[in-house]
Amino acid sequence: MDRWQSAPGRLARLGFGDPEAAARLLAQGSLDEVAHAAAGDAAGGAPGLLDALARTADPDLALRTLARLVEALDDPGELLASLHHPDEPTEGLLAVLGASAALGDHLVRHPQHWRVAAQAPCPAPTAEQLRADLLGAVGAERGLGEPVATAENPADALRVAYRRRLVGLAARDLTGAAGLDEVAAELADLAGAALEASLAVARAELPTGSAPCRLAVVAMGKCGGRELNYVSDVDVVFVAEAPEGVEEAASLATATRLASGLSRVCSASTPEGTLWPVDAALRPEGRAGPLVRTLASHLAYYQRWAKTWEFQALLKARPVAGDLALGQAYARAVAPLVWQAAARENFVTDVHAMRRRVEGHVPVGQAQRQIKLGPGGLRDVEFAVQLLQLVHGRADPALRSPTTLVALAALAAGGYVGRADAAALAEAYRFLRSLEHRLQLHRLRRTHVLPEDPVELRRLGRSLGMRHDPVVELEGAWQRHAREVRRLHEKLFYRPLLHAVARLDAGDVRLSTQAARSRLEALGYLDPAGALRHIEALTAGVSRRAAIQRTLLPVMLGWFADAPDPDEGLLAFRRVSEALGATPWYLRLLRDEGQTAERMARLLASSRFVTDLLLRAPEAVQMLAGDEELTPRPKAALVSEVLTAVRRNDDPVAAAGFVRTMRRRELFRVAAADLLGLLDRDEVGPALAAVTSATLCGALEAAARAVRAERRGSLPTRIAVIGMGRLGGHETGYGSDADVLFVHEPDPGVGEADAADAALAVATELRRLLALPSPEPPLPVDADLRPEGRQGPLVRTLGSYAAYYHRWGEVWERQALLRAEPVAGDAELAHRFVELIDPLRYPAGGLDQAELREVRRIKARVEAERLPRGADPAMHFKLGPGGLADVEWTVQLLQLRHAATVPGLRCTGTLPALRAAAAAGLVTVEDAEVLTEAWRLATRLRNAVVLSRGRTADALPADLRDRRAVALSVGYPPEGTGRIVDDYRRATRRARAVVDRIFYQAPEDR
Amino acid sequence: MAMGKQEEFVLRTLEEREIRFVRLWFTDVLGFLKSVAVAPAELEGAFAEGIGFDGSAIEGFARVYESDMLAKPDPATFQVLPWRSDVPGTARMFCDILTPDGTPSFADPRNVLKRALARAADMGFTFYTHPEIEFFLFERGAGADGRPVPIDNGGYFDHTPNAVGHDFRRTAITMLESMGISVEFSHHEGAPGQQEIDLRYADALSTADNIMTFRLVVKEVALEQGVHASFMPKPLAEHPGSGMHTHLSLFEGDRNAFFEPGAPYQLSRVARSFIAGLLRHAAEITAVTNQWVNSYKRLSGGGEAPAYVCWGHNNRSALVRVPMYKPAKGQSTRIEFRSPDSSCNPYLAFAVVLAAGLKGIEDGYELPEGAEDDVWALTDSERRALGITPLPSSLSEAIHAMESSELVAQTLGEHVFDFFLRNKRAEWQDYRRQVTAFEIDRYLPVL
Repeated sequence: MDRWQSAPGRLARLGFGDPEAAARLLAQGSLDEVAHAAAGDAAGGAPGLLDALARTADPDLALRTLARLVEALDDPGELLASLHHPDEPTEGLLAVLGASAALGDHLVRHPQHWRVAAQAPCPAPTAEQLRADLLGAVGAERGLGEPVATAENPADALRVAYRRRLVGLAARDLTGAAGLDEVAAELADLAGAALEASLAVARAELPTGSAPCRLAVVAMGKCGGRELNYVSDVDVVFVAEAPEGVEEAASLATATRLASGLSRVCSASTPEGTLWPVDAALRPEGRAGPLVRTLASHLAYYQRWAKTWEFQALLKARPVAGDLALGQAYARAVAPLVWQAAARENFVTDVHAMRRRVEGHVPVGQAQRQIKLGPGGLRDVEFAVQLLQLVHGRADPALRSPTTLVALAALAAGGYVGRADAAALAEAYRFLRSLEHRLQLHRLRRTHVLPEDPVELRRLGRSLGMRHDPVVELEGAWQRHAREVRRLHEKLFYRPLLHAVARLDAGDVRLSTQAARSRLEALGYLDPAGALRHIEALTAGVSRRAAIQRTLLPVMLGWFADAPDPDEGLLAFRRVSEALGATPWYLRLLRDEGQTAERMARLLASSRFVTDLLLRAPEAVQMLAGDEELTPRPKAALVSEVLTAVRRNDDPVAAAGFVRTMRRRELFRVAAADLLGLLDRDEVGPALAAVTSATLCGALEAAARAVRAERRGSLPTRIAVIGMGRLGGHETGYGSDADVLFVHEPDPGVGEADAADAALAVATELRRLLALPSPEPPLPVDADLRPEGRQGPLVRTLGSYAAYYHRWGEVWERQALLRAEPVAGDAELAHRFVELIDPLRYPAGGLDQAELREVRRIKARVEAERLPRGADPAMHFKLGPGGLADVEWTVQLLQLRHAATVPGLRCTGTLPALRAAAAAGLVTVEDAEVLTEAWRLATRLRNAVVLSRGRTADALPADLRDRRAVALSVGYPPEGTGRIVDDYRRATRRARAVVDRIFYQAPEDR
Repeated sequence: MAMGKQEEFVLRTLEEREIRFVRLWFTDVLGFLKSVAVAPAELEGAFAEGIGFDGSAIEGFARVYESDMLAKPDPATFQVLPWRSDVPGTARMFCDILTPDGTPSFADPRNVLKRALARAADMGFTFYTHPEIEFFLFERGAGADGRPVPIDNGGYFDHTPNAVGHDFRRTAITMLESMGISVEFSHHEGAPGQQEIDLRYADALSTADNIMTFRLVVKEVALEQGVHASFMPKPLAEHPGSGMHTHLSLFEGDRNAFFEPGAPYQLSRVARSFIAGLLRHAAEITAVTNQWVNSYKRLSGGGEAPAYVCWGHNNRSALVRVPMYKPAKGQSTRIEFRSPDSSCNPYLAFAVVLAAGLKGIEDGYELPEGAEDDVWALTDSERRALGITPLPSSLSEAIHAMESSELVAQTLGEHVFDFFLRNKRAEWQDYRRQVTAFEIDRYLPVL
């Protein structure tokens, strides 16, 4: 008895977690003898039993259960004898005891079953043997067509017999005698046998006089695919027919009774526990539909109503119990339907939704440790394989296996997925499935969540053969495989598309052009032939670029497919790539910075504006590498950059070229940052205004140099450019022109006329330089807000402005001056211009009645007349009710009336002025919010339309595809085209009500 | 596909009953029934994708440049039409209206109600309604003075009147029941020729569909019998108009959310807040529940037409009446909203009524004191003292109240809201230009 006292140290070394407890157990009763005998001399070599225990997943558990088992046996002699010299069979028993507490409990309850576990390497039972065994257990005669149970307590008997088989299977599984595929197949056969036996039990429960029926049980899901887990819902569909001469309704009533009886026998909890739930939800109409249908009714449903995912389920249909002839007839009849699914009209949309389900299915909570549904989980593999089967199985019967691993191998053999990808995926899948098996085996629970308890993780790891540091090894292996699945399942769709058009690696089979087209179409490409040409162009050849693009494209094709316009994105990528050719940094960027490629893909497939900028100068791609590059540059930095460049360059056109290059680059920077969500919405206007200002600074300098050169001398006058409108207000949009005024001041003693000629020459040259045809986008410079409009001189002296405004200045001109802000040229002159206009735009005493009436009258006329013919006012960003003009005129009227007394109103921006008005109590905070919301939304949508379509637009697009693209780009779901309109109309309606009140002071007349 | 069974049933029935045409029904914004007839062969496509039509031809549906729309039949509404004249058979289904990209159209009144019901469902409620629809039967053609002649006005047409009324009711009941619409008919004593029908209570969407069907059935039967049926709110100046008093209740699952044993009138907190919501927003929603110039002639007529915003227990002059509680009938606890008239668009009316009540629940409105007296009999000052305000007294006032209503705008959606207001303003403008019989009678002789 005392010989185990010194043992704990040794036991701990052997891997026992609680060596004291183990020592106590070993010291008890019969085990003492065995262990000791096996140990021979305590000091001697490795004792057999202890060593064998140490090899199990959980030696403590194995020993504990073994002690209980010995206790439970009336005559443990035989067991003890075999433990003396643990051989391979005995290891099987110990492995079960160490891996499964549930099966251990079963063995303690039915101790004689230990022999089943201790037969490990014996051949696997056939499906027929299992069926005979379980039918026998319920006392049914298996030779009969419709066996009926006769056992006294058939449900219990079935459970005991089922578990007995499970013990044997687990032993072969844990000792490696059976591989994963074999185990999964045998579990499915065992489930089939249990279904058959349950049916026999249900038959015994039928009331006498029940009408006869033919009933087939067809397994779906993993049972159908012969790839079942230890514990899982068993998916089935019931098919019934009335035998000749029997009324169908009565017959179906019997069949329904049998079907629900069968489900009850399997899922009920008895003293011997439960088997598993039988799930018939995959039947036509799901849980709402009848449990049992005739073959014809099944077919009618599938031919007419079934959804694509239902065909995906039918892939795995396999008759397993009941009337097998009927089951076979069903399988034969539905099989062709499965393969016609890809020809259905809504297939593309459905596949899209299914693909999103694969990629986006991350259940909350336990997501991180879910081995089935989590990212990179089993579901990813299964969905991907089934989807590819549906797309290509129609044309290629070789792909029609219901078993995931078999189908994957077939897909690889046919060239539909790359061989190496398939192999890696299969390996990951096997690992995840084994992990799932071991996890479920422990308590025979239907779980897919990896535990966090180190004791459990240790057992799991050890059961998978990880001995050194099982917890760390297991976590590592799991994450590696999950990552592999995540990485691969996207490439699985896209990589073979490359093979369709490219030269092949040795051993790979080409995906046919037709197959490639159907796959691209299924993924949302509208012009698959064009897409294939682009893929071919991008990946052809032996250049380093082609090699990198071959690696990158499979992933990029997925990113394109997720954006509004995949075809456009792919084409643009091809053009960028061709333009940049073999530029080393480009290849490096693509290869090393995953982010660059992803951002480029998303931008190119969602914004024609950005695509256009990028195609003009593809090197801007570099900016996408990091967030830092995507921060707008301050105006001062841009100005000093362009001035330096212009001063270095004597040729005005070349100098202006530098300026325009800067502008194009900065537009790209702002647009990209905006689309990628890196820029606050309120920052877009100021950032674009800074770009325009700097452009004008550079262009003015270039123009001045040109005129100086022409005159061969210095300029006789100083010039300043004043920003107006959106530019002055820092509210520039992607499609905005530059609204400006030109002002000049002749040098002392210079002739007025000469100075005016020079100033006009500079202003004209500035506009010319920015409008010249060039690879860079032009910037129209609009001076129409000048005194006398287009009839007036383009450039005036400060004195001339003063005289004009003094004599003629209309109230609307003063209103326009509210937006005036110097942007370029002589700062001192600009400052004096501002001093000149301040009393005009911020008039002391506000507006008199006549002026007030005039502003309102002009506004009313603009509303009535300016809207383009046929435009829907409600959708017009600028002139529609509650749109930009409404809000801006309202704010500007407040400024004209109150800026003299409220300093905060003396600013050029709409929102800052509105905030100041609210702070001063001129509008309520609520009204200010309503106006702000409408103005922001209109501004944002207008920018979004320009970004999406690449040209200016003043209204939400009427075309639904365009509207959808705009809605997507501002964050609405794909079905949000109706909602975006409703939201916009609501915001503007509210704003219009405020405008009516504040701007028009609408009397409550009625 | 959950609907598969219903669609299958429809297609099977078409074959079995030899239906030659299926009428796809939908309702324009003003509440007029529209119909597109299709052959059964086209129906499968219609189920899958809808039938295209030009929305610009329908009041309030679309502007010309976005006029392509789809009508997608709801198989749950399939019914064979019982008109005797349609041999072989014709059937009908109500449709949802979709835009060409398959999203629900914001112009579709049925969608307006569905959105309102979805909001209620988000709060855990199902909305049940039970309307009492009144209408008149007139002789075909006007009387000597140009006014309509009720069928049972006695006197000069004494050879048929009762027979017509009787036969009319029998035929109409048969037709409605054959279409699965349960009704109780009663001859109304209030005015000559006036009838009242109660539809069995049902979820609001089915009820609205049923009301549309009902109006058509009544018109059809009238046609067959050579009389004219009218849902005009107030056809006879000297008699009460045709209202559509509607009983409302909310259910949470199987439980009536309006019922609370032991509370005053057995009304739960939910019910009291719902009523408070109806009262507070009554003026805003009146343009929808009473949408015609003529509607306000009924409301101003006194008697059982509610012109004042108040509620009362079993008070037939109040806008909201809480019917007598019947012991042991908790499930039937309901309130009666009395302003709507028989010519409203039931989809829009139910949507705004529901929204007003839900708003009361959401914001926990307190229910004001109930009115015990006949509010018509009170003086203006008394009503003011009791805090009882009038409902809008004209379409113009109702439009004005609706214009500034966020509740109505949110509920109808901006498109319907805007169209409705524009249409109603135009109607009011037209009306203002009229010279009425009243003016001729009163002024021409003396001025």
